[in-house]
Amino acid sequence: MPDSKTDINLTDIDTIVAEHGHAASDVIAILHAVQQRYRYLPEQALRRVCEISDITPAAISGVSTFYSQFRHRPAGEHFINVCTGTACHVKGAPLVVDAIRRERHIAPDNDTDPDGQFTVQKVACLGCCTLAPVVQIDSVTYGHTKPDGVREVLTDFTWRTTQNGANGKSRSTSKKQKVAGEVRVGLGSCCVAGGSAAVRDALVSSLDNARVDVSVKRVGCVGMCHQTPLVEMNLTGQPSTLYARVQPDDVEQIIQRHFRPKTLGQRLNRRATQWLESLLLNGAPEQGKRHPLNVRDKPVAAFLGRQKHIATENCGVLDPLDLDEYRGFGGFQALQKCLLELSPQAIIEEIKQSGLRGRGGAGFPSGQKWAIVQAAKGDKKYIICNGDEGDPGAFMDRMILESYPYRVIEGMMVAAFAVGADEGYFYIRGEYPLALARVRQALATCREAGLLGKNILGSDFSLDLKIVEGGGAFVCGEETALIESIEGKRGMPRIRPPFPAHSGLWGQPTLVNNTETYALVPWIMRRGAAAFAELGTEKSKGTKVFALAGKIARGGLIEVPMGITIREIVEEIGGGIADGRRFKAVQIGGPSGGCIPAELGHTSIDFEALQEVGAMMGSGGLLVLDDSDCMVDIARYFLSFTQDQSCGKCTFCRVGTRRMLDILERICAGKGKPSDLDDLESLSHEVNGGSLCGLGKTAPNPILTTLKYFRKEYEAHIQGHCPAGKCAELITYSINDDCIGCTKCAQVCPVDCIPMRPYEIHEIDSSVCTRCDSCRQVCPEDAVEVN
Amino acid sequence: MISAQINQTPIEVPEGTTLLQAARQLDIDIPTLCYLEGLPHFTSCMLCLVKDVESDKLVASCSMPVAEGMVVETDSEEVHAARKTALELLMSDHVGDCIAPCERTCPAHMNIPLMNKHIEAGRDREALVTVKQHIALPAVLGRICAAPCENNCYRSRIDGAVSICALKCYVADQDLASGSPYLPARKTPSGKRVAIIGSGPTGLSAAYYLQLDGHACTIFDDHPEPGGMLRYGVAETDLPRDILDLEIDVIRKLGARFDMQQQIGLQLSLAELRETFDAVVLATGQVPPEELKKFEVDSTTKSVRVDNATFATSTEGIFAGGGVVNPGKMAVRSVGHGRSIAISVDRYLWNQVLPVINNRSQSRVGKLREGELLPVIEAMHDLKRLTYEREFERTGLDHSVVGIAGAQAIGESGQCLQCGCASFHGCDLRIYSEQYGANAQRFKGERRKSVERILDHPFVVYEPGKCIQCGLCVRITEAKGEDLGLVFVGRGFNVRVEAPLNGTMDGALQKTARECIAACPSGALLSRDMLCEKMLDSG
Repeated sequence: MPDSKTDINLTDIDTIVAEHGHAASDVIAILHAVQQRYRYLPEQALRRVCEISDITPAAISGVSTFYSQFRHRPAGEHFINVCTGTACHVKGAPLVVDAIRRERHIAPDNDTDPDGQFTVQKVACLGCCTLAPVVQIDSVTYGHTKPDGVREVLTDFTWRTTQNGANGKSRSTSKKQKVAGEVRVGLGSCCVAGGSAAVRDALVSSLDNARVDVSVKRVGCVGMCHQTPLVEMNLTGQPSTLYARVQPDDVEQIIQRHFRPKTLGQRLNRRATQWLESLLLNGAPEQGKRHPLNVRDKPVAAFLGRQKHIATENCGVLDPLDLDEYRGFGGFQALQKCLLELSPQAIIEEIKQSGLRGRGGAGFPSGQKWAIVQAAKGDKKYIICNGDEGDPGAFMDRMILESYPYRVIEGMMVAAFAVGADEGYFYIRGEYPLALARVRQALATCREAGLLGKNILGSDFSLDLKIVEGGGAFVCGEETALIESIEGKRGMPRIRPPFPAHSGLWGQPTLVNNTETYALVPWIMRRGAAAFAELGTEKSKGTKVFALAGKIARGGLIEVPMGITIREIVEEIGGGIADGRRFKAVQIGGPSGGCIPAELGHTSIDFEALQEVGAMMGSGGLLVLDDSDCMVDIARYFLSFTQDQSCGKCTFCRVGTRRMLDILERICAGKGKPSDLDDLESLSHEVNGGSLCGLGKTAPNPILTTLKYFRKEYEAHIQGHCPAGKCAELITYSINDDCIGCTKCAQVCPVDCIPMRPYEIHEIDSSVCTRCDSCRQVCPEDAVEVN
Repeated sequence: MISAQINQTPIEVPEGTTLLQAARQLDIDIPTLCYLEGLPHFTSCMLCLVKDVESDKLVASCSMPVAEGMVVETDSEEVHAARKTALELLMSDHVGDCIAPCERTCPAHMNIPLMNKHIEAGRDREALVTVKQHIALPAVLGRICAAPCENNCYRSRIDGAVSICALKCYVADQDLASGSPYLPARKTPSGKRVAIIGSGPTGLSAAYYLQLDGHACTIFDDHPEPGGMLRYGVAETDLPRDILDLEIDVIRKLGARFDMQQQIGLQLSLAELRETFDAVVLATGQVPPEELKKFEVDSTTKSVRVDNATFATSTEGIFAGGGVVNPGKMAVRSVGHGRSIAISVDRYLWNQVLPVINNRSQSRVGKLREGELLPVIEAMHDLKRLTYEREFERTGLDHSVVGIAGAQAIGESGQCLQCGCASFHGCDLRIYSEQYGANAQRFKGERRKSVERILDHPFVVYEPGKCIQCGLCVRITEAKGEDLGLVFVGRGFNVRVEAPLNGTMDGALQKTARECIAACPSGALLSRDMLCEKMLDSG
């Protein structure tokens, strides 16, 4: 290990251990802290941890190499995280990674550039699917990146870094105009990724400059991620106005519109300031990422019309961390009712009556699960909230945790009271810093308010909730692997039985439910089981939250009643396919789910109907695909995800998914044999039947459904042709006679395979071409052809 | 107590008993590679899958507790198919050679590493016995063999193959020169008679092994002298006739009769031969297409059709091999066919099931990658405590040049890397693969682990490429309180068993080394003495 460069101060390590604990189960928290300190895990530091704690070298080696967030070699000064979630993948993230590596001259076996400046890493879904492809450099997020825009992005980042610290402006202290009402800024992760933090800063400073005193309120996710960042002017005496895709530069205009300066002097003064600032900004390189200002988006009604907000009740209104406001909207009434009026049996009966089924994917009846835990014998019982949402393309849990932390806490408290648990954990992905921070804050607030701790609301009920931060392992979404992880081990699933309901965390009865499931509980207890059961189908009640993304006009976070059809979601809520292309399929349920063709668009969203067509509810990713998407590539994408995330314990998943991927890669590279399809199909069934846990059992679903509905595309690949023109090794780029010799393609080509010949028809040297698609995207005459 | 049913047999077991334990009580054999009584289960290999009838699902019996009323099947077609696939997947990620590439590619399947080992130890007689177990005409082949074995020797890409053919010739010549060539003991005469048509390499080889089995062979040939192509198709300068005569004499001494200048259709009638003899072997070598029909068996336009495994033709009691089945001139293949036919005919004569030979279940590395072999060679020399230095420049030596002898032969045989697996006989992965008819090549892709040998322990040799991640050693070191122990490092397909924090095997295995070696089901953990036993005369 290349440790030599880092000087390890052992007292730092001692402090970290003292802070996070000496027990074997504290290992993951300690590793997070060490990595935060050194940006990787120096071996010397790990040895020290073993010396001064109960953690063994075997444990620290095993655990630190299991979770993908932990690095064992030094990193560059900045991290470039390229999201490889589904939406980013279909919108070209792999090409962006290639372009970054080329731009920074990163060697094939390395992830850091020769100057030690940037480390590029592919990361699991950042949850900004509507901005795909997304690149995050340290804390700055760039949306809609393209291979030929990489240089610009890096230049912009470097510029921002050098400007940093010079931006501090002095605040005005003169008298302000007091205004009633509030300015709401969406501050979910997507909004933040879309730049809403900067917008909020701009709002505060513009209001300050305009001498306006009005509350700028952060609100949780509105769901309209395709329009981020969102600003809503909700001022007393004015109609509420929603601004979409707001950029910091636009803020001034908005403020001017709503708060006209009173005096000429003020107006002149502001003009001068603006002129000065525009001068200052002239140094900024041009950015192609800014969206036009859309005032009052019309399709909002259509987007929101079919939705039903239960888990996301009061979306766009609630300040995520304002406990009083949550209470004002009926928060903790359900808990109060449960603690003071209902018996655990009555609560469980109510949940059973509501027909609530687990929203983590499998759809097990929640009331039944609660009843088993309640009846189980143990010295102690635990409750766990599974917030390890790892599906690429799914960010419902993140949004719920970020926007409605109190609702989830309340749901957990009701559940804990019902099953008799007095200790519990939030297991939240390490990739969700905002969700972690909000839940941490919300827990602290609840403790202060007496909602957590001993004798809650004056009852006999006591509960304490803690947070465990995941280390980057999709398999930890599997409940037994999650429990192993909380115990400080490698996240390898255990065989069931025993089920966690009988023997879970530390061998005690444990209730594990998904975040969304808990978020539905307060509404059910407040409004009654019947109100919930009124929604949905016979066997699937209530609503489901989906992350709607892909080739759709309006993507975002939606909550719909069960029983709605796929086509209704795509066309009514999503506004149909973007760019005038043809609706081809939806991928639902992520890596465990399947591809449903457009012909089956009438399929209703319920657990059974989806399973019948070969997909599954999964945790709620809903990716819309159009005719430019290659279904073989989609299958390969999902399988490469599960293969990469396999824990490696059982043969069928560890080796089987690898061999399935071998076959798919062969097919995509044009080296497939006719027998490959039957081999792939039989191996898929074998991996499904023989794997130990759900990850392996469902990993073949994307393959089986695409084979079932799109077999012709596979056959075309075997004959050396990719119908969608996606698989790099099966396509060639050429320029036709429409070329006007503008040289744009030659300028953007990253490998210089198009000689620059002004006013002549250009040519592409196929032997050098990397199929990065930059030339096609830039050509004003559509003269670049893909064959 | 909990009652259940396994393969329709009712059983009562205490709560917590696993399906595997219950099945063992009923003497039902369930294979497993990752379970060891006394250690916690890990559910990794999935070989122990059985069918839970009610849920219609396959479950891992090593860790699944018996539930009340459970009905389980352990030997259905579905269960066997799943186990076979599990083995095929494991084999696809198991990088090692069950048997050495020279032996595997020798058409006569000669145990070349063993021959080399004997020569290196000065046991020329044992070397000859080893050779003659598969090759009836070693002095002949020593001069004319195309030697595919040498072509596949791993050293051929580095510093030249071991001169296998010359070594074989050396031991055979020594034997012939002794005046009393080696005559293996014959079984009690069976009273069965076999007619062999053709006295070329196939016929001679079949006669040699059939005579040893106690059957009386008569070899018919239309030429005046026996030897077929060896006498009438090979130049005398390449194969001196006295050598051929001496090896034919050995077969004669074993009791075979030669009836020369007899031709089917003229002096001989196939129908009569079938009347007189208990079995007939067609070993005529390649025949012109128009003459094929006189054999009265199914044929294509070019050759006689036989069962690949048994060499039986479509007509009962008639077997065929060599050039009449596979036109071509490779003598060693014909010699190999002759021996296989002998085994098949022997079983036929005793009314036993004809053997099905399946070596697809064995693992093989295939082509070595750049840089993979040198460390292995160096490791071998480290183990042998020899300096790495060839006795002579081998690259140019033509194997047809006879004359390797004495010290040179010892030195040359000592270059053999004994590539086959030292745990061949103890490897459960191979044994089960053969038992379940797994095809080790089914999922072999371009991607594979490296060939590696880690030797940083006084006596443990660790080959990570052969590890199947069963975790037995990990659990043993943990259960027995090793200070460091072994641990899984990494995740998924790239997971490896290693000493923690980049430590050594020496540090990891202070007290459990022997136990881990004994438990390893796939030959990944070995002891130096196991390798040395394979390599050296341990005395």
